[in-house]
Amino acid sequence: SLVIRGEKDEQAVLCSKDKTYDMKIADTSNMLLFIPGCKTPEELNADPTSCNIIHSQIAGFSNNYWELRRCRPKLKKLRKLLMEDPYGGPDRCKDQTLTFSRYTTEDLLSLIQASEEEILHQLQVMDACKIEGYWRILEFDYKMKLLDHVTQLIDSESWSLSKVPLRTCLEELGSLEPREMIEHILLSYGRKYVDDAGEVFFEMHEDKICRAIAQMLLQNAVKFNLSEFQEVWQQSVPEGMTTRLDQLKGLALVDRSSRPETIFLLKVEDLPEDNQERFNSLFGIREKWTEVDITPYIQDLCAEKQTVGALLTKYARCSTLNGVKVYSSRRPIS
Amino acid sequence: LCDPVLSCSGSAGALARWVLVELQGEVEPRQGGELAGGLLGDLHYTCEGVPVLIVGHHILYGKVVQLEKPFAVLVKEGGAPQPSPGGPHGHYTVTALIKTKLLFKTRPKPIITHVPKKV
Repeated sequence: SLVIRGEKDEQAVLCSKDKTYDMKIADTSNMLLFIPGCKTPEELNADPTSCNIIHSQIAGFSNNYWELRRCRPKLKKLRKLLMEDPYGGPDRCKDQTLTFSRYTTEDLLSLIQASEEEILHQLQVMDACKIEGYWRILEFDYKMKLLDHVTQLIDSESWSLSKVPLRTCLEELGSLEPREMIEHILLSYGRKYVDDAGEVFFEMHEDKICRAIAQMLLQNAVKFNLSEFQEVWQQSVPEGMTTRLDQLKGLALVDRSSRPETIFLLKVEDLPEDNQERFNSLFGIREKWTEVDITPYIQDLCAEKQTVGALLTKYARCSTLNGVKVYSSRRPIS
Repeated sequence: LCDPVLSCSGSAGALARWVLVELQGEVEPRQGGELAGGLLGDLHYTCEGVPVLIVGHHILYGKVVQLEKPFAVLVKEGGAPQPSPGGPHGHYTVTALIKTKLLFKTRPKPIITHVPKKV
């Protein structure tokens, strides 16, 4: 079945199990009559005996109809709702028993304008987990604390980063943090697999871990000296991992025009969801963007079969600066 | 708040097929009053499969069009008097699909049955 979703102040969308569609009313000056059982010429030709008069009733008529157009699921609200009460660990819970901004899957299905599969997928992308039946996002500091426990254990046990045993992690860390949280952090930052003996292991995601550690460093100041940051960042990641600036797409932006070069935190999930507003926001941050720099911040706006290039053509003005193609706003920014 | 739900009556294979007739302009009852219950006209197909509609003393020629985007006909079911807080607030059932329309967009021609001959 299909569901129409939206609150009174939102534009209605129609959702299937896994897709979301904008709903619009289309008007026509023509009159549309609907006739049940009306036969087409092919159907009549196929049945030559029915050449008598067929009495048909017109079931109804209309001047308008609902038109559907596939759209991006509206998921920014999901993050907003879950950020109302992020989970900071079992110790923190005690002060907060009565804040009820907690959402079950059913709650989310009635509040978020997206299909069930799109919502569940986004929950996985956000590393959300279900605690006591409610979907929770982890507080960043708590997430890093859990990750730190795991990386320190990997280091002290000298495990390979691609073969981290679940059982030992739970045994060694179970006294420090809830077992569900330890398993959750391993699932968030690693790929689960089972070996021939049936033991569960995790292959840790180097890129994702390096990215999280970069965020931890960058959120402490407005901007950083790029080379200093790169040095500290490499020293902060687990032994055996290599940091690369391309791990930070959609998380941080490098300013190569400043002397010295700098880097600052800019998270795509903090930017507006609407296309025009997103571009306005980006051009407010920086007047001229190269395609390489802007792509991570507009990639998620692409509709089915739409390219970043098509978006840039529509919302930006292309020019050349020092031989490099750059994009800027189509209109003057106030 | 939530959210009308659409579901199919029966399996997709069992859905009724309706046909859309599209007319330019408006249809008015001859003597005023309502359209409901009245006769619209006669629909014929020529040997070549061209639909011909006779409405009152007008004749319209149309064509059969396979719809690129088919329509679904929805019927709103009477909602529960007290919908549950988290549950759907309305229910539409898909009762039919429309994949074909008969489009009449040429100007209706009056049918003249008696043309006095000029002497």
